[in-house]
Amino acid sequence: MRKFAGAFALTMTCALALPVLAQEKPVAGAVKEGSLKGKTLTFVSYGGIYQDGQAAALQEFVEKSGVTLLNDGPTEIAKLKAQVDAGNVTWDVVDTADLPPYIHCGTLFQKLDFSKLDVSKIPPGQVGECSVPAMNYGVVLMYKNDTYKDNPPKNWQDFLDVEKFPGTRAIDGSGDPIGALIEQGFKATGGDPKTMTADDIEKGIQKLRDLGPDTIYWKTGAESQQLAESGEADMIMMWTGRAMTAVKNGAAYTPVWQDWMVVMDQMTIPVGVKDPDAAYALLNAYLGQRSQEILTEKTSYTPINLDAKPKVDETTAAFLTSTPERIAQGYQQNIPFWVKNFDLASEKWNALLSGN
Amino acid sequence: MPDRPALLTRLRPRGAVWLAAPAVAVLLLVLAYPLAIVVWRSFTDPALGIDNYVWFFQSAVNRTVLQRTFIVAGWVTLASLVCAYPYAYAMTIAGRNMRLALILCVLVPFWLSGVVRTLAWVILLQDSGVINSMLRGLGLSPVKLIRTLPGVVIGMTQVLLPFMILPIYSVMKGIDTRLLQAARSLGAKPWRAFLQIYVPLSLPGVYAGVIIVFILSLGFYITPALLGGPRSTMLSSLVQNQVLSLLNWGRGGAMGVVLLVATFVLLAMAAPLMRQKHSAARREA
Repeated sequence: MRKFAGAFALTMTCALALPVLAQEKPVAGAVKEGSLKGKTLTFVSYGGIYQDGQAAALQEFVEKSGVTLLNDGPTEIAKLKAQVDAGNVTWDVVDTADLPPYIHCGTLFQKLDFSKLDVSKIPPGQVGECSVPAMNYGVVLMYKNDTYKDNPPKNWQDFLDVEKFPGTRAIDGSGDPIGALIEQGFKATGGDPKTMTADDIEKGIQKLRDLGPDTIYWKTGAESQQLAESGEADMIMMWTGRAMTAVKNGAAYTPVWQDWMVVMDQMTIPVGVKDPDAAYALLNAYLGQRSQEILTEKTSYTPINLDAKPKVDETTAAFLTSTPERIAQGYQQNIPFWVKNFDLASEKWNALLSGN
Repeated sequence: MPDRPALLTRLRPRGAVWLAAPAVAVLLLVLAYPLAIVVWRSFTDPALGIDNYVWFFQSAVNRTVLQRTFIVAGWVTLASLVCAYPYAYAMTIAGRNMRLALILCVLVPFWLSGVVRTLAWVILLQDSGVINSMLRGLGLSPVKLIRTLPGVVIGMTQVLLPFMILPIYSVMKGIDTRLLQAARSLGAKPWRAFLQIYVPLSLPGVYAGVIIVFILSLGFYITPALLGGPRSTMLSSLVQNQVLSLLNWGRGGAMGVVLLVATFVLLAMAAPLMRQKHSAARREA
């Protein structure tokens, strides 16, 4: 009898628990009505059209959940560190560049609990221990039509070859070292980026230094766009969003898609946020199909939900990086390598950027 | 920045000290306190000791950029002085309307953001820019201006010019021009009267302008970043990188302290020279 009672209780518990578990399994984009009424979340990103687009993508989440969403920015890891150090974290969800969530995983950014997120629709290989992607974009080589006419550069190796392809180069000098470009530089010296060691970083960077003193290191996306629109440089390394805008504004440049560099912004939850569950709810809503469609329609960045089918014009579509053809041509830097050697690479990259 | 105790003792009437209290309180809160934290961090983050300073001086990049920062500041100060001195003089001798126009010319750009002015320089100086298009149009060969040191100096000089013109003008305005007439009546040639009487009397303004412009130049960030290339990077960019990107706040602090101390040393060396010249000028007057 007692045995039976025990078994019965167990069965009942399971039967009761199962639907609860099923209910809690999150679905990307799903928002519980009124679930966050009276709560406030602060979302931090890089401002401008991008953050406006993200806010639009989160509009439905705000309306349904009843949360008050505050926007802050721009993202600065130093500010976040100050908040975490002081034990007073006011940023609940933070959009960051590629590497920071890997470098500061567990110290500044929470290790994510993936039972609270639906990551099934995110393109493969993009989910980190402390991050999910915020969007995708690419870095493309843009060459000036006038300069190269019938013999255009075809990949980054041509970009690094000033003898065969004379002309001024412009490189992304806006911040952290560009691992993918250093890898290409190392490849140009005859090395294999896949077996790169810390000592090879200098070789890759030397190849960039060899491009000569006229090389431009642009500091902001706007500056790269200005370089293209005024025709200052013959080959420009550009973010796809900026490249598209420059072309729309009449820049006579053509993108080279072979080995375009895959870049993503990351979504993170800082260590020590006051209401992690609310932050997870925001992330999960952001990953939804409709949210990602809105994001792309407003910003032209590539969505990170495989089901998303944004309606965009022809030029924007030409610069989206999520088509099968583009995915096949993409080049992904060795993230673990650059995370491990971040300080060394930064030091050498800074030396390059300060003329040493 | 003058040492504060000396400044305070000079204020004779006791009550006067309290007039400065709000300003001192603000300075303590927003300048002295954060500065103390920066200095403290530079010796303690990540470990107690002088590691951050050893790192600074062992790095060839840091040494080169520190040296370059002072060289750029020197050129900018010189260029500003050369432009500002005759301009300020013109302001003192111009008629009322003309003077108003000249003051406006100084102040209007002053009200515009430095970023806007710098971007305007990008358009003027770049290889496909206004200046080079004109040169090409005239059949001359274009000159490399943007992403060079001269380009940075030109842009910074324009941004900082008001800081040189205004102190010089305020001193020149108070110079009694009858002294020049007296010198002429005693047989001095115009140039001699100008150089021996007017210039020494205007020096306090020149010193004030030189110090302000030099110190502001040392910390410039946006203009060298936009107009310069790798070879004109200044120390502020490296500090920014340590603090914002690498989160090495100790190192960033050490760089700031090195720049501050180097500036103090330079000013301390210049101070006796200035005082001497100044009192000599007064005696002659």
